[in-house]
Amino acid sequence: MTVIARRLAGHLARGLVMILVVATVSFFIVNNIPGDPMAARYEKLIEGGMSPEAAAQAVKVLYGFQPTGTLWQQYTDYMAGLVHLDLGVSVSRPGTPVLDVLGEAAKWTVLPVLAGTLLSFLVGVMLGVFAAIKRKSKLGDALAISGSLLHGIPQYVLAMLLVVIFATLIPILPAEGPVDILFEPGFNAGYIGSLAEHAVLPVVTYALSAYGGWVLAMKSSVVTVLGDDFILAAELRGMKRSIVFRYIARNAILPLFTILALSLGLLLGGAVFIEKIFNYPGLGLMLINGVNDRDYALMSGAFLLITTAVIVANIVADLFYTTIDPRVRSGEEAS
Amino acid sequence: MSATLIPEASSGGTGAGPGAPSTASTMRRNFWRGVWRVMRRKPSRLAGAVILVGFAFMAIFGPMFYPDQLPDNANAITQPPSWEHWFGTDPQGRDVLALVITGSRYVLLSAAVTALITVVFGTGLGLFSGFKRGRWDTVLMRVTDMKLTIPGLPLLLVLATVWKFGNPLQMGLVLGLLGWGGVARAVRAQTLSLRERGFIEAARGLGLSTRHIIGKELLPSMAPYIAMNMLIAVTGAVYAQVGLFFLGVLPYESNNWGVMLNLAVFQAGAMITPYALGYLLAPLLAILLLTLGIVLVVDAMDEIFNPRLREE
Repeated sequence: MTVIARRLAGHLARGLVMILVVATVSFFIVNNIPGDPMAARYEKLIEGGMSPEAAAQAVKVLYGFQPTGTLWQQYTDYMAGLVHLDLGVSVSRPGTPVLDVLGEAAKWTVLPVLAGTLLSFLVGVMLGVFAAIKRKSKLGDALAISGSLLHGIPQYVLAMLLVVIFATLIPILPAEGPVDILFEPGFNAGYIGSLAEHAVLPVVTYALSAYGGWVLAMKSSVVTVLGDDFILAAELRGMKRSIVFRYIARNAILPLFTILALSLGLLLGGAVFIEKIFNYPGLGLMLINGVNDRDYALMSGAFLLITTAVIVANIVADLFYTTIDPRVRSGEEAS
Repeated sequence: MSATLIPEASSGGTGAGPGAPSTASTMRRNFWRGVWRVMRRKPSRLAGAVILVGFAFMAIFGPMFYPDQLPDNANAITQPPSWEHWFGTDPQGRDVLALVITGSRYVLLSAAVTALITVVFGTGLGLFSGFKRGRWDTVLMRVTDMKLTIPGLPLLLVLATVWKFGNPLQMGLVLGLLGWGGVARAVRAQTLSLRERGFIEAARGLGLSTRHIIGKELLPSMAPYIAMNMLIAVTGAVYAQVGLFFLGVLPYESNNWGVMLNLAVFQAGAMITPYALGYLLAPLLAILLLTLGIVLVVDAMDEIFNPRLREE
């Protein structure tokens, strides 16, 4: 246990430093933004048919709470706010704290990403084993190529193709939005069914985009283990195939948990595209809206939260790896 | 057989007669024979090479056949594919195929810049870190880890509020500077394993300079690996920059595939209106074809340079 505790402490320290760095970087990028959010808001209000005086008044009210003072003072204010989980107030949704906006958005990102990861992991690992065992046949070859191709295809291309096929050409699934507004939110069959129906395409997109990585990694891992001496020894001793297979699976799957972190990071980062295409109100969409509306509190908040999620995912994956692999746990392999 | 002719001609040029075989040329001939064998056994790999050459031609020469401003045609707005317009027309009546071809220059030029920067930076840092080891190695790898952890796309989105990425070189530069982490890691791992091998030890025992060891011993044995990484970096770069334009966070200054996708999806509604499908599918097909070409070529290179993978 002490090894795990030590690792956890190290990870947490490093994670905190990274969050600090990212927060600092995003603060200074934001403070260099050429497009003035006040001006952008003003123009938007005028476009919306407001008279110039009313627009100026509205902007003043909205921005009455904007931080003032020197850059350094703003920076320390911002950091002090972060410690209290205060990310500022959203400008494009006047008066709403960014944390509330993001908290509402987070569930629309986290749940589909987790579902997609799980799905792609199960399917990818199984097909990866298959591709490794049958690697000399046409089918194994085809599986490996399908893995590399899906690994290489951008997420947004996948998402768009899926929408075109399953929502336009064969209209069986809804193309966008998280849920039908016809149903009353709550624990009733209609609402849950609509939620599930709307989640199918995004989850499948997440799963397909991560699937390739799993197949390729599992295939190469199994091929490596197959060549190990202890497999040969087990076969020579006449062990049952099912037991040998369990040996192979257990050893081959271990390195894959390091990929879990990478995969979660990829999916969380890619949420930007998938949420934009499916109009899913998650963190990625909030980030894009923040950029487009020049709502920099929302933008840097969303960026910070996505990065934090990736860092946490990394730590969890590493700890998980430490727990399940006895070689790492005993501290033989320091890092 | 034509592939094997080239090294033979070159060995004839060096004046080596049949009695004095030059090892370099035989090696080269064997290499090309291996390439040819791999290609012939799986013709799909040849297709990959053909696709990549085709894209290069398209980006270099394609835009020359079209005027700077593609002609609008108010009478042919958002048409489905036809003989005249293979992929239909966009909402301004421009030919979609022409848009894809003229847009390829921006996309591929910036991808090439990205790949170059990624590989030069990544290889340099990876070699330095893996060969020197010690304190610098620790520091550099911590930095690399950090870079790898920060999700690239969200960071690019935030950066897009500051930079405008007007020309492809700028775009390539930024993507390259953000993307070298993976290559640095991979090259470092390779260096660490190679430096313990016999031939490096022998070179060091002979008192050869570090420059010689890195330039003449380490780099050549890693070259194919680096080249593959470079091709993969190209896909990453195309993916990222088309995506940025697609999301609509950058101004539509230049004509490229991402802008096309953005206009198709968010203005022409091509995802839900079947007759505008051509407008959406053309850039998507271009990206898919490019990815396919790169995957096939990387696969072939893997087999050529990694004889253990060859199963006769």
